[in-house]
Amino acid sequence: MKRLLAAGLLFAMTPALAPSPAQSQNKEEVAKLSLKVGDKAPDFTLLSDEWKTVKLSDYRGKKNVFLAVYVLAFTGG
Amino acid sequence: MDSPAANAAFAKQIDIKFPLLSDMNRKMLTDYGILKKYDVKGDNYEWALRANIVIDKDGVIRHIEGGDSAVDPNSAVSVCTDLHKKQAAK
Repeated sequence: MKRLLAAGLLFAMTPALAPSPAQSQNKEEVAKLSLKVGDKAPDFTLLSDEWKTVKLSDYRGKKNVFLAVYVLAFTGG
Repeated sequence: MDSPAANAAFAKQIDIKFPLLSDMNRKMLTDYGILKKYDVKGDNYEWALRANIVIDKDGVIRHIEGGDSAVDPNSAVSVCTDLHKKQAAK
């Protein structure tokens, strides 16, 4: 059985709506990662590319989960 | 945000074997503190940091990194490998 689940989260916004920070001279509010190693991961329910509901808690006791949050990565948006 | 339909097209294109998830209402991103806010000429925009997170079978975070360092997945992969070794040894 596959022990590792790799789940990719894809996020994209169009350049027209979201100028990249490198192009913007405006001040930004930098988000701090609010979670740290050893914390309980908050549960989430998200839609997969197969339109199925995926819950983090579905993998509890079964598989480790690798979440990769990808921004502006694939869609060319 | 990529919709499930856009993710499905991409998954088919490069034959991905793991789920591609969409956080259309950004709840997960907010809960995990990886949504970044920008003020562009008085208007507020937000989008996610790039991030790698490893969560073990007990739901405990074993690795979390965001921003530029998360572009390289090697440290997260190394945590996964160690996790497997420890679990296999039990």
